[in-house]
Amino acid sequence: MRRTLGRITARLGGAVFVLWAVASVTFGALRLIPGDPAQAVLGGPGSQASPEALAAVNAEYGFGRPVLVQYFAQLGRLATGDLGRSYALNVDVGPLVLSQLGGTLLLAVLSLALAWLLALALATWSTRGGKIASRVGSSLEIVAAALPHFWFATSLIVVFSIWLGVLPPISTGGIAGLVLPVLTLAVPLAGFLGQIMRESLLIALESPFVLSARARGETERGVRWIHALRHASVPAISLSGWAFGSLISGAVVVETIFARPGLGRTLLTAVTLRDVPVVIGVVMIVAVAYILMTLLTDIASHLVDPRLRLT
Amino acid sequence: MQAELLTGADHSGRPRHPGLVDGAAGLLALFLLVAAIAPQFLAPGDPLAIHPLAAFQPPNLTHGFGTDESGRDIYTRVVHGTRYSLVIGFAATAIGLGLGVILGTLAGTLGRVVDFTVNRFLEVLFAFPGLLLALLFIVIFGPGVATATIAVGLSTAPGYARIIRAQLITVRSAAFVEAATVLGRTRWQILLRHILPNTLAPLFVLGTLGIGQAIVWAATLSYLGLGAAPPAAEWGAMLSAGRTYITSAWWMSFFPGLFIVLTAVTATVLGRSIDRRMRHL
Amino acid sequence: MPLRHPARTRRLLAATVGVVTFGLLMSACTATDSQEPVGDPNSGGTLTYASGDAEPSCLDPHVGGNFPQALVSAQYLESLVSRNTDGQIIPWLADSWTVSDDGLTWQFTLRDDVTFTDGTAFDAAAVQANIAHVQNPTTLSSTGYLALGKVTGTEALSPTVVRFTLSEPDSALLESLSQPWLAMESPAALERSQDENCASPVGTGPFIVQSWVKQNAIILVRNDDYVSPPADAGHSGPAYLDQVIWRFIPDSASRYAALQSGEVDVIDNAQPDTIVQATQSDSLEHLNSPRPGASNRIELNSGQAPFNDVRVREAFIRSANVDDAVSSLFQGTAIRSYSALSSVETTAISNANLFDYDPAAARKLLDAAGWTETDADGYRVKDGVRLSVRFPVSTNQSIPAEQSVFEQIQATAKETGFEVKLSPMDLSSWYAALASNDYDAVSAPYTKVGPDVLRILYHSDSIVPAPSGYFANHAQVNDPEIDELLTTAASTTDAALRTSLYADAQEHILEGFYILPLYDQQNHFLLRSDVVGLRTLPTVAVPTLYDAWLNR
Repeated sequence: MRRTLGRITARLGGAVFVLWAVASVTFGALRLIPGDPAQAVLGGPGSQASPEALAAVNAEYGFGRPVLVQYFAQLGRLATGDLGRSYALNVDVGPLVLSQLGGTLLLAVLSLALAWLLALALATWSTRGGKIASRVGSSLEIVAAALPHFWFATSLIVVFSIWLGVLPPISTGGIAGLVLPVLTLAVPLAGFLGQIMRESLLIALESPFVLSARARGETERGVRWIHALRHASVPAISLSGWAFGSLISGAVVVETIFARPGLGRTLLTAVTLRDVPVVIGVVMIVAVAYILMTLLTDIASHLVDPRLRLT
Repeated sequence: MQAELLTGADHSGRPRHPGLVDGAAGLLALFLLVAAIAPQFLAPGDPLAIHPLAAFQPPNLTHGFGTDESGRDIYTRVVHGTRYSLVIGFAATAIGLGLGVILGTLAGTLGRVVDFTVNRFLEVLFAFPGLLLALLFIVIFGPGVATATIAVGLSTAPGYARIIRAQLITVRSAAFVEAATVLGRTRWQILLRHILPNTLAPLFVLGTLGIGQAIVWAATLSYLGLGAAPPAAEWGAMLSAGRTYITSAWWMSFFPGLFIVLTAVTATVLGRSIDRRMRHL
Repeated sequence: MPLRHPARTRRLLAATVGVVTFGLLMSACTATDSQEPVGDPNSGGTLTYASGDAEPSCLDPHVGGNFPQALVSAQYLESLVSRNTDGQIIPWLADSWTVSDDGLTWQFTLRDDVTFTDGTAFDAAAVQANIAHVQNPTTLSSTGYLALGKVTGTEALSPTVVRFTLSEPDSALLESLSQPWLAMESPAALERSQDENCASPVGTGPFIVQSWVKQNAIILVRNDDYVSPPADAGHSGPAYLDQVIWRFIPDSASRYAALQSGEVDVIDNAQPDTIVQATQSDSLEHLNSPRPGASNRIELNSGQAPFNDVRVREAFIRSANVDDAVSSLFQGTAIRSYSALSSVETTAISNANLFDYDPAAARKLLDAAGWTETDADGYRVKDGVRLSVRFPVSTNQSIPAEQSVFEQIQATAKETGFEVKLSPMDLSSWYAALASNDYDAVSAPYTKVGPDVLRILYHSDSIVPAPSGYFANHAQVNDPEIDELLTTAASTTDAALRTSLYADAQEHILEGFYILPLYDQQNHFLLRSDVVGLRTLPTVAVPTLYDAWLNR
């Protein structure tokens, strides 16, 4: 009991440390970007704002104060859960980010799930089918993993929306509008996960516990599906935490191309407009999501293979 | 374990003879290398020469890959652009690997406190979406090939560090290391002669996998307008420019995209092939 | 198809381009009646509009004042006056107006039958409240604020008569008042917090803002009590459409794909190749409406080397082959401009002779200017300094075809010895480069109704940066003669004199080789064929959905 408590405390402590570090690095990085923060507040760069307006903004937002003071003020606000107000969009960052989070999370979760399915299917099929299937499967995975998101997205739009006309080219809120974005993110990831899974599946199939299962008389199918896959999934599960992060990156491009509301597009706009509170807000939410995801994958790994300790 | 999986370790125990796929990859690699070092041999034209009245031509006998919006020959541009992409790919991967090796080794060898600290540091880097890291870096230091390369390298370093650290820990507890300790070798000897070579061996394949990824990353940065300056014939920039005309001139984005994919595939296949050969030496 | 006879193919290509251009010109000139008679308008339906411009941060165009705001606010806000296609100012919310002899007092007689959609009456007091709102520093208006620069006060002489008092005569006042950035909003609504007013401004227009889900869409519904179309509108009474969904699709390929598949009905910022495809398709129509104000031009920074020497400026202009670039990249959808002003301005002067592609002449000019040596890469050198032109390019404002025009200019200028360094940047970095004088050539659009834009762009006062660092005179023209012409033109009340003064000013500007005109500010709309009656307001060329209906 005490060990578990100790481990949980350690994890929480680690999580808080990560959040603090992420906030600090973002704050520092955004300070380094050339440009006047008052600009962003006054309607973006190139605004022909009057000196009174600039002075008012500087006073209200405290841009003139020393950097350390602003830093601690920011940390203080974050600690109380106050994400501040967007400079450019004139709304509170918290509600804005939370409203955009749903769309991106949906995309990420669906893409991860589809990538898993595709990778599993391909890995199983190619190990079962012999040498040629193995080669074909391997090649498919390598090619899939090398597809750039924006090129693949546009190709899908050309084929399915323009030539075939069966799917909408932009997301207007229905399920049909999700298909192409999810495919765009899932296929390259499936290529990567599939390579991992196939190799670990091959290793697992030669492991002692599998041989003993065969000796006990379980069918070939039973062996594969229950034992080998379970063991083989472990590395893929642990990589899913990283995969989630890369899906967020991919979401930036996918949301822009398919005009989907989401964190990726919000982030890109915020960086372009030097909208500091929104950038920090998005980064914090993503960090929290990442930490939760890591926890989930650790638990899943432990469930699948009890030999692994919860680190 | 993860490193092994990525290297595609051969489980049959027999050395494999070079197959058709390996041969093709080898030829392609040769083509790409020549294109990077001496493109004039493969494409004698000028990649920057414009012919406005010959714009948007589909692939034909004079222009094998067609022409772009300014009448430039796409085949020539793709060949001359190999240099940028290969340099970005290699350099970014080198930066990422280098940083990853340093971080991973620190974490894996210097005791629990250092391990803990570096692990936290890696987690922080992981919590940033890679693209955001690259975006922030480029916005601070300005766009261009150099900053794009460093940005991509930085984003990939944590991934390598993690794998190397895991590999290091696995190797450290392996039987032959125990044997060496029992035999009386010093810590440094063990590190240099046994641990490091076994840990760094999968790096080769990791790196080749990474080259393809780095090139794709850099292409995405070009799409977002943060890559090489025009009129450079960089694949990512060509892909991004060609995307605008995808419904009327598909060849403008198809061929650079094809080469990006082919390069990534070649690097991966070659890497595995060479690694297999090295294991059986 | 093998190119066995390149010369013949070139001629064929040129002929094709010519035919396409002619065809597009014809369709552009008769944009509003290019559709065959389709019967009586249907009432009802929802139209989806997808804009390629950025989503505004505030729907009230008094705040800030940019083109994305103008696009959407034209559906629910109206101005005192409008402009017709002949360039004349016509009545809108104001029925008539007079100006005193000294030009310092303007009197507007307003319509007495107009109400804002929240029930407040439109009267002189409302006009006063709006002018005060724009001139109030806390509103943070930039475009409207500048346009009212000479207005010192307003007075309500009666509920329907309002008087404007000016510090100096302003010949551009009516043109300024026709713009969406000085549109009339309900005074009661203006009293709300800025956040509330930004989310749903209240006006007199044919539509009402129902809701705005940020990063998603703005929903507009019909104003059933609408009575105040401008004098050149197609009908009177309420609009035909029930509802308008206003979306934002930043990616041009996705935007066009959405139009093709029927997900959206109208798109703006159409790219040249999609325009060509659309004109060949039966289900799509094309509406071309160049924006007023300045033409799209490259401005050469005459405030520092190398362009502080007029011979070098002229050499650069003569070494750039723009005609071939424009015709091949824009495929007939853009016509080469040789003027500082948009072709919709009746006061525009054009001089093609100054802009001939003549590399030989360019080389002689460079020799005369002292740039006689050439280095190993082929670029001219003088006193050890290379002839370098820094050209920051805003990827937000320059469409890909335009960026390619710059690339082609870079290539042809190289043959004469200029090293053009193109740097694509995002908007913030671009403004920063301009503010720190880190440029030799730049292309910056400026939309304004009327020739007064010349004063904003070429008067030496405009070299002085605003506190934000922004300045409009990127060519850094500092010529007392031009200043004199522009200042006098801005205060004269005689229309004929005004036109001739602006003509003089434009000749000076063009002959000074400060700018290289490219084409009009492109403003192309593509719509589904069953959208009938869509037109653009001849003020700032924004679309108005008032007369539009769906033939389905």
